[in-house]
Amino acid sequence: MSFQEIAFDKVFELESVRKSYGSKQVLKNISLAIPTGVVGLLGPNGSGKSTLIKTILGLVSIDPRRGDSGTGKVLGFDWPSQVRIVRDHVGYLPEDDCYLQGLQGIESIQMMARLSGLHKKEALRRSHEVADYCDLGQERYRNVETYSTGMRQKLKFAQALVHDPQWIILDEPTTGLDPQQREQFLDRIYALANEQGKSILLSTHILHDVIQTCDHVVIMAAGQIRLVDSLEHLQRPSQEGLQISVVSNAAKLGDALRAHGIQSHCASDSQLVVLGDESALLERIWKTSVEQHVIVLRIEQAKNSLEQAFLDAVRS
Amino acid sequence: MPLLDIGYRKWEGQKTPRSTRSLALASTGIHLVWKGTWLKRVLMFMAIPALIAGIFVAIFEQTLDRDGPRALLSIVAKNPQSRNTAERAGVNLKEAIANPEAYRHFTWSFILFNLSRYPQALGMIVVLGLVAPRLISYDLRSRGYLLYLSRPLTPAEYIFGKSLVLYFLIFVMSALPALLIYIAGLFLSTDSTAIAQTWDIPFRILLASLVLMVPTTAVALAFSSMTQESRYAGFAWFAMWVVGSVTYFTLWTATQLREQLQNQSQNQGRIARIEAMNPWNSFKLFSPYETLGYLQQQIFGLAVKDTWTWAPWIVVAMVSVAGYGFAYWKVSRVLKA
Repeated sequence: MSFQEIAFDKVFELESVRKSYGSKQVLKNISLAIPTGVVGLLGPNGSGKSTLIKTILGLVSIDPRRGDSGTGKVLGFDWPSQVRIVRDHVGYLPEDDCYLQGLQGIESIQMMARLSGLHKKEALRRSHEVADYCDLGQERYRNVETYSTGMRQKLKFAQALVHDPQWIILDEPTTGLDPQQREQFLDRIYALANEQGKSILLSTHILHDVIQTCDHVVIMAAGQIRLVDSLEHLQRPSQEGLQISVVSNAAKLGDALRAHGIQSHCASDSQLVVLGDESALLERIWKTSVEQHVIVLRIEQAKNSLEQAFLDAVRS
Repeated sequence: MPLLDIGYRKWEGQKTPRSTRSLALASTGIHLVWKGTWLKRVLMFMAIPALIAGIFVAIFEQTLDRDGPRALLSIVAKNPQSRNTAERAGVNLKEAIANPEAYRHFTWSFILFNLSRYPQALGMIVVLGLVAPRLISYDLRSRGYLLYLSRPLTPAEYIFGKSLVLYFLIFVMSALPALLIYIAGLFLSTDSTAIAQTWDIPFRILLASLVLMVPTTAVALAFSSMTQESRYAGFAWFAMWVVGSVTYFTLWTATQLREQLQNQSQNQGRIARIEAMNPWNSFKLFSPYETLGYLQQQIFGLAVKDTWTWAPWIVVAMVSVAGYGFAYWKVSRVLKA
């Protein structure tokens, strides 16, 4: 079997997916299509994110006898009937702390490569390649059960990449990473998508990770899809305006601007949003800040916060 | 920050067929097991009885023209249990002593059966008891199954891959030494008819090994899939053999004592004991060791012909199906959780 790139415009399109654990329905009639690129899957704990991912990969089964259902296409293959072929083209980093006991890091990457169809020697060569990319260093020769949480995340990432999949599913990938490792990890995600053309599904509840890497956002809550949109559209404000960061006394500056007939509201003691045309506002803001002795640190175009969009979607 | 980072590199190459992926699971499992120095020691220790069996075959072949086999068969004839086994299997020991060449097949089979039945089977119980409990229970504990099953691998292929690890070990322990002894016997034989007389023995060796492999692997994997604690699975494994053997010998001894009391004769009682050890009796079904031993006896053509029965075959087949079925159910259940 030769390695083939598959052509698809939607990573997956699912119709009416229902999944229950016992009497509890975890996925409630989900219909969802996501485009290529980096998609953030957001949701509070227990919202069904991991179950949705596991269902797509066939790691939890769709059992019609228990009321489960769902059809669709994943990477252009029929789902769920061709889920085994789908797995050959997907790299999965599970949220769970999972490892192959007794194996060294490099052996466990090689094992995953061989299960994805790489020949033994090629699997070892490729394993070293991705271990270098994932910054595993000499730790790759240690038994995996001795790894720290951060090392295990790196190892799982290497295992997900070793067969050069077209779609990479990352379920809470930055858990257990220190801030520096986290930034490096997000940089790698960004590079894989923008330089290598990989599609990535990033499941997380850390909004900052999504803002830094994603093109699109899917928000789930209580087993339902609450919102699907591009990040750019979500952050676009409903009215034109500017966001001003000050050292302190944002309220004082806001009151002064309102006295000049400019609509404004304080987000905090150091954050102020003013509404109106940018060119007309700038001069007045500078003058008023000097008059009121308020030190301005930064002025940028106002954005809606993803946090607000997330909260609105979850509460809706 | 690195001074040079070539970043991610794409991979393009030929992939192996999906149907062969479980072999990767098996070879990694064997590699992992092989890391243990104790396993190598046990296997080396188990080579000693194989060497002794090989020496017997060599003596038989090298002394055919110097009365060696006659002496060997005379030793067999002196032991009542061996004599009984031989005679009930259709071998006339007096004829054999007179014309040992004609009884090459019986002699080789007898030696190889005893090798397989006692030291190799006992060694297999020990080795599987140390290796098998970890195979699935470790994956359940460390959630390794999530990694395996996120690849194009079905639960059945996963279990097949794990089975191959044990099949390999049992083959190395039981079939391989016997096959080497057989080949050595052919080379040592000065008689050109040796191949014609013994051509079926390699097949019997392989079948006898298969009879050990399938049910023991099925049961061992079933135990391993029951728990995340491999020591419990190991305990269950050894307990099965010990309790089964104790039950069999208790029931068999009780029956013999009853018969002895009925006969009121020590002499008759002793004869009854000797006869009852070899032919089939249904108490053997309580003991996996006795049941498998009897099947091997049948395979090597040494079973008592007048009590030949399908019962142990049926029971072993049922246990194999149940063992594999249970392991499959447990592994596929994690996907339904």
